Amino acid sequence: MVQEVERYPKATRVLHWVHTGAFVALFVTGLILFVPPLGALAADSWSRIIHRVAAVLFIVAPLIYFPLNWKASVGGIKDAFTWGKDDIGWLKAAPRYYFLSDEAAMPPQDHMNTGQKMWWFMVLVFGVVFAISGLIMWFAKTTAPPELLQWMVLLHDVAFITTGCMLFVHIYLSVAHPMMRPLRTGAWNSMYRGKVSVDYARSHHGKWYEKIARGAEKS
Amino acid sequence: MAEKAILYDPTRCTACRGCQAGCKQWNENDEFIPTVENGVDATNWGSYENPPDLAPNTWLKMEFREVEAGGRVRWLFTRRACMHCTDAGCVKVCPSGALYHHELGFVAYDKDICTGCGYCVDACPFNVPRTDRNLLTGVAKMDKCTLCTTPGLDRIAEGWLPACVKTCPPKALMYGNRDELLAEGKARVAALQAKGWVNANLYGENELDGLHVMYVLDDQPAVYGLPVAPQVSPTVVAWQDVIQPLGWALGGLTLIGLGLNYIVAREAKMAKELPPQKEEK
Ligand code: HEM
Ligand code: SF4
Repeated sequence: MVQEVERYPKATRVLHWVHTGAFVALFVTGLILFVPPLGALAADSWSRIIHRVAAVLFIVAPLIYFPLNWKASVGGIKDAFTWGKDDIGWLKAAPRYYFLSDEAAMPPQDHMNTGQKMWWFMVLVFGVVFAISGLIMWFAKTTAPPELLQWMVLLHDVAFITTGCMLFVHIYLSVAHPMMRPLRTGAWNSMYRGKVSVDYARSHHGKWYEKIARGAEKS
Repeated sequence: MAEKAILYDPTRCTACRGCQAGCKQWNENDEFIPTVENGVDATNWGSYENPPDLAPNTWLKMEFREVEAGGRVRWLFTRRACMHCTDAGCVKVCPSGALYHHELGFVAYDKDICTGCGYCVDACPFNVPRTDRNLLTGVAKMDKCTLCTTPGLDRIAEGWLPACVKTCPPKALMYGNRDELLAEGKARVAALQAKGWVNANLYGENELDGLHVMYVLDDQPAVYGLPVAPQVSPTVVAWQDVIQPLGWALGGLTLIGLGLNYIVAREAKMAKELPPQKEEK
């Protein structure tokens, strides 16, 4: 048996996949309005109804998760806003690492590497932007000034374009990057089963592994 | 094909509202008498105007204004309906192509593919499109004047006059080639000016690159409740002409970048791994 360490508890994984489902549904039904040749697919509002159902899931799921997992949530949110020297190291090494498969270039990473942290940061910030602009377009459609509603579509679109592009990157790195072989090694397992091999933890998240290894010795 | 247009001349209009009724009848937009029994509080609000506003089933409406000028009160009439802009905000934002430019220049509408997003409602400089909207589900359908080109009710394709023009007893409404009506309108404006209406002007010649409903006005547009120098809002331009193309470019570049990464990274990975693997064998 390969020795494994826990990376994501069950609640986190459930939130991840519920949110993924909602996000993809929102992405696809939003894309229909964004792409003129697809627009006719939205006839009779049906895709916009799905957008609203998914939006409720998108907003409610984290609102249930946060209070139930308060400490982890607060810690996670703090992490998203804590940037330092190590992140510069990652940024410098990333091109060589991801393109040239140069693993030696990469300094040891914490629980989240800098790339993951950028994505997590965007999910937080743009999640709020999506929710606020979306709720205004939804419920204030008949009362808000036209100019405000147009600004909200604009904001919604900026969030859509940024997170949409990053979503492609996120999915690619989690299932297809040739060096990571994510389906065989850690990335996929970490979110699917919640566990990764000690090997993976050591090579991809060295700093984090140090911490938990030390923690394990102490206890 | 030559562009067509409507010319409206309030100086000839008697405000009989025949156009309003003709529009409703032809387009099957039934009206009911607003009484308390019908669920409408028919209180007098101090005007002969009725109904109070454009609505999904009211595509054309005559507005009445009492304006004080030079010590006397003038009773002015304005035709309110889609102006059929060339630079049309509604067409620009419509995500499904339900709103589009007819080959004769006006803004036609295919209601079947309307998504109900309501973007046109906010983008119209004349505040014309109307929707019935369920605020909870978001389900909606837009309605507005189609210049009698509604599929199934297309008078223009038959070579007939629009219903409103056909109805108008004093010929305050005319329909025809846009350039001819432009000349006619200018002649009328000149005649008004000769009579001492110094502010007379033709509204719609250049507004939004040319409206397909033009007005012979004996005073400033604002006096008739028409916006001076109407414009598609800069936010709409930024959203449609900057953000959306940028979205395409960034989305495309990301996918291309990932594809390149796949090729390069696989090469690099194989170059590193293959030799030792061979030695092991
Ligand atoms: C957080 C909750 C969200 C709410 C309440 C929401 C609500 C809305 C609303 C009301 C509209 C306007 C069209 C309509 O009335 O149907 C809209 C459009 C749109 N939404 Fe969302 N949305 C949310 C999240 C998202 C997410 C996560 C995405 C994509 C990843 C997204 C993508 C889009 C796109 C692309 C459009 C069309 C914008 C355009 O026409 O340019 N939305 N959304
Ligand atoms: S008046 Fe409004 S609805 Fe009519 S064409 Fe212009 S923007 Fe569109």
